[in-house]
Amino acid sequence: MNPSSTFANPLENPNAFRLHSLIYWQKEMPGVSSDSARGALVPLSPESPAAAVYPLRHGLKSPISRLSISWSRGNSLRVSVFAAPSSDGSVNDGDGGKVVEVKLGGGDGEISEAHWRRMAYGSVSPFALLQSRKNAVSSLSKMSMNSSPYDGDWWDYIMEYSKDINALLVNKKTASVPVLDDPKSVITKGEEPTSLKAAWELLEMFYAEKPSHSWLPERLVDWLADYDSLFSGTHPTVHSKLVDFQKELVNLQVVEDDPKYWEVMSSALAVGWLNIVVKMLRLHGSYRLDQLSNRETENGLVEAVAVLISKMPRMRLEHEAGKLGECYKAKPDFVKAWEKWRGQINKLDSSAFWFQCAHQQTREGLRSMLQIMLGNANSLCSATYNWIELYISHFLYMRPLTVGLESMYSLAQKSIQLKPMASAHRLMGLIIGILGENTEVVLAECLKGFGPWMVAHAIELLTAGSDHAEMLLHEERQNLGGISIEELHRLVYAQVLSSFPLTWQIAPIYLISCMKHGMVLLQILLSKQPVQDNQLLLKSIEICRLYELHSVTSNIMKIAGVHHWKHGRKGSGFFWLQQARDEYRLNRIALQLFDSVGKTISDESFKQWEGLIQLLGSDSKTAGGLEFLHKYRDFKKSLRQIHDGKATDSARQAVESLISLMKSPSMPQRFWLPLLYDSLKLLNWKERPLLNVSQTNLLLNKLQELSMARLRPDFIESELPPRALNSVRLALGTNLGRAILEE
Amino acid sequence: MAFAESQNPLRVHRIPQSRYIDAVRWLSPVSPSDRFAAIAYFDADTNSPSIEIAYVDPNPQSSSPTLTPQSSWTSPSRISSLKTAHSTPQPLLAAATFSGSLHILASDLINGGVMESEATVSELGFHSGPVSAVDLREGGTECVSVGEDGRVNLVCFVGDSSKLSYRRIFDANGLVGYTAVKWASPSEFATGGYGFGIQWWDQRTSGGPVLQFKGNWCQGKTSGIVHSIDIHPSRKHTCLAGGSSGTVFAWDRRAAQQPIVLSGAGTGEAPNSLLSESEVWEVQYDRYTRRSNISNISSTRILPVMICSEDGILAVIEQGEEPLELLAEPCAINSFDIDQQNPSNVICSLEWESLAILTRS
Repeated sequence: MNPSSTFANPLENPNAFRLHSLIYWQKEMPGVSSDSARGALVPLSPESPAAAVYPLRHGLKSPISRLSISWSRGNSLRVSVFAAPSSDGSVNDGDGGKVVEVKLGGGDGEISEAHWRRMAYGSVSPFALLQSRKNAVSSLSKMSMNSSPYDGDWWDYIMEYSKDINALLVNKKTASVPVLDDPKSVITKGEEPTSLKAAWELLEMFYAEKPSHSWLPERLVDWLADYDSLFSGTHPTVHSKLVDFQKELVNLQVVEDDPKYWEVMSSALAVGWLNIVVKMLRLHGSYRLDQLSNRETENGLVEAVAVLISKMPRMRLEHEAGKLGECYKAKPDFVKAWEKWRGQINKLDSSAFWFQCAHQQTREGLRSMLQIMLGNANSLCSATYNWIELYISHFLYMRPLTVGLESMYSLAQKSIQLKPMASAHRLMGLIIGILGENTEVVLAECLKGFGPWMVAHAIELLTAGSDHAEMLLHEERQNLGGISIEELHRLVYAQVLSSFPLTWQIAPIYLISCMKHGMVLLQILLSKQPVQDNQLLLKSIEICRLYELHSVTSNIMKIAGVHHWKHGRKGSGFFWLQQARDEYRLNRIALQLFDSVGKTISDESFKQWEGLIQLLGSDSKTAGGLEFLHKYRDFKKSLRQIHDGKATDSARQAVESLISLMKSPSMPQRFWLPLLYDSLKLLNWKERPLLNVSQTNLLLNKLQELSMARLRPDFIESELPPRALNSVRLALGTNLGRAILEE
Repeated sequence: MAFAESQNPLRVHRIPQSRYIDAVRWLSPVSPSDRFAAIAYFDADTNSPSIEIAYVDPNPQSSSPTLTPQSSWTSPSRISSLKTAHSTPQPLLAAATFSGSLHILASDLINGGVMESEATVSELGFHSGPVSAVDLREGGTECVSVGEDGRVNLVCFVGDSSKLSYRRIFDANGLVGYTAVKWASPSEFATGGYGFGIQWWDQRTSGGPVLQFKGNWCQGKTSGIVHSIDIHPSRKHTCLAGGSSGTVFAWDRRAAQQPIVLSGAGTGEAPNSLLSESEVWEVQYDRYTRRSNISNISSTRILPVMICSEDGILAVIEQGEEPLELLAEPCAINSFDIDQQNPSNVICSLEWESLAILTRS
């Protein structure tokens, strides 16, 4: 994941310096050719896109001597630019180097990064819900062997998922709908369509809707009506012709004299946009009141065609309100209506009224529209501009009863032969893949055209109803390191999410749905998160808690603890190490704390210590080796009060603290001598011995133990004057003598 | 657990922002019908933090509220804490940053919400590392800031010098870190930190906190951090705090060391009746109540409390009653604010780059 390269650059003029290394790096992109040779399932187009050039604004004045490139967050590259040291050895402003980030163009121009993130957030809940339902269904089907796992509510679940995802793809920038209906506006602008939404709707209609494939041709007709404009950028389309004509329409006085009027209407009719055609027909000059009497027959013909169009029988469930055409659900009814309708067209076509129509354009235009409605192949071909439009017109007027993917696919092949295309739009590739029933092609087109988000979520639809696809996508593959294609694509998507600072938190949802590598990658992801900020740290810990990753929790707590400790935030550092129950590190920092408590002994600093010692608590488990600090602080406090002159009582308290400290098993051995050295004053107390015989013996034994320990190689010598041990021993001996005498 | 929908109507509107929201606060309105909010954004695409004043139109033609940006101020670093003081017509904002600076902003709501930076403290040594919390004294001219570096600073901004002067109240030299702060009276304030500890300070008494609450009631269990403190103006003896492990507790200064646990660790409840097990990011007394008068509630009883949490819960807790869940989001709710003038309105920031506006009726 981290291709970084360092090399010298001979360019002299730093202002003209550009990131040539990027191009170099693109060429070096690993695995493009070698993987495909080994049968990789992720196709990468061999024709490399034009090399992108990103200017670097590093502002260095001196020539560049070295560059280093590595991945930063998301789509950014981090480029470290090193300037050559100046030749005369002088140090100037702008010497040294600079680190700049280069944001690589985010692939899809139609979707902004913010919109992409909104999709990523929104798809989490539908995805998670579907996964839990899947798990429930599969465990249920294990219990009752006979029933198929996918029946009953299953299709409702899939459809709900698909609808939820589809709702996310709506572009929020909806154009305002005009309140008044403009008679001259033939096409209305709704929301801006996106290829991504168009692609999802294709998948939805073919895979998620409960398979009732007899409706599919009509669904495709509707689909093209919504998304034909998407092809306008790369292909000629009916939609773009309509848009062009709309612009001219305002200036046209007599529309029927313009050959374009008839051309555009035929095209719109061919792809089934009946409402638009009827609306345009009514713009015909013969409808004007002042001309109606002169052009009665002509107007009758126009109206007859308009009525025939609005009565077109359609084999579909229902229409949106206001849409023209008559719907038939049952095939026999439809066939009857269809034959009757065609009979009416034929009758009109051969009627004698045409000879009475004086206006030539009207006569020819209307008759060619009749040919389209009769399914004349040549008319359809010349009225449409690309193969999909031709394909749709065949469904409408030639083969309305087409059923089954196989015949739909062969029809598509025929349409492509009739209207070959120079370059394929990403949606066209997807349609071919779907019709060809080739799951691999569909996946590859999704990935190539729409990216990892699409693939990760579309797989749910692909596997929904097809056992074949399910086997293909769930099969564990040796060439993928033992994981299935489904898991591969989820991992890829999770990896994309992980690389952005705002989306990494949703990557776990996808990772845990990956059986083989998900958990390990989740642990790596969590371990890599920054620990500096408490809020982010706690968010990581929360995710660990949800997935019961206790060892990761304690690891990141340890990292946070050491980080805070190193930056002088001893309280925070201590807290996190304590939470991690990291006794080893707590013992290590105990030494430093001990030194600080010993050195900074004043009233003011006691206030500072108070908080930390409170945090320690008295439970030895949570305090690590540090609970003695509590007593040590008390001991030091009493010692200090002796200095202040509150003599004997404080001295007694100090002795009690000293004894309990020395008795405490958690008191590290290396602190014994400094502690005793601190208490020399107590041992040599003038008025009377403060320690009794048994107390003195205890301390002498400890001192003996210490002398033995000094012989061991791992003993840590304390920073005390060399005669410290002797003076303590002497003082203890003297005290013992005095104590015996007293008793 | 009770759900709000069944008992009283609640309207929720989620407004995507396309930017991460670090903090959100209501501003006191000039007229009763106006509503303004201050929002601290972080734009991840351009890496730029800012504070914006937005006019919240509660009911445009379509029944969902809209936010209209009025003015914007670019911050030198991300906002770690944002507080407002309710003075009209120029409400004050105190914004603390992760780079350790403090900014006092004034917004003129009458003249289109123009926001100006009144004063800034950004010198080295003010705080080392981020300022973790800040609080503005109500209607006053003082601001207290705390950090994990253990510093407690008091910033005064009388006069119109653009450089602020500050006074170090205490420096724990990092031995103690503070993560929350709240004024109790013109001279007293409370801070919170690690191990569920709360400190009570009086700026007339120097050299450290005057009273400390040891948060070690949950001995043996995991301890936590206090993220937010609130003090009710009529109940100054009680500090309300929210923090790790879904913990919401109150410390009555008169009752020494025994906390009143409202939710979370140490309640001894069965885990399934817990409101939340994750971080409680913010707590505020909920002034929206159906009871005729809060003075009727006995002074030993804790007033209703609103909380938001990492696991997406926004809820109202009343002592001894089932908590009332207002929101259960699929992502974290990082902060919220109750409108002082009209407490039925709540604004909260969601982890997934959006705001939610709630109207209770």
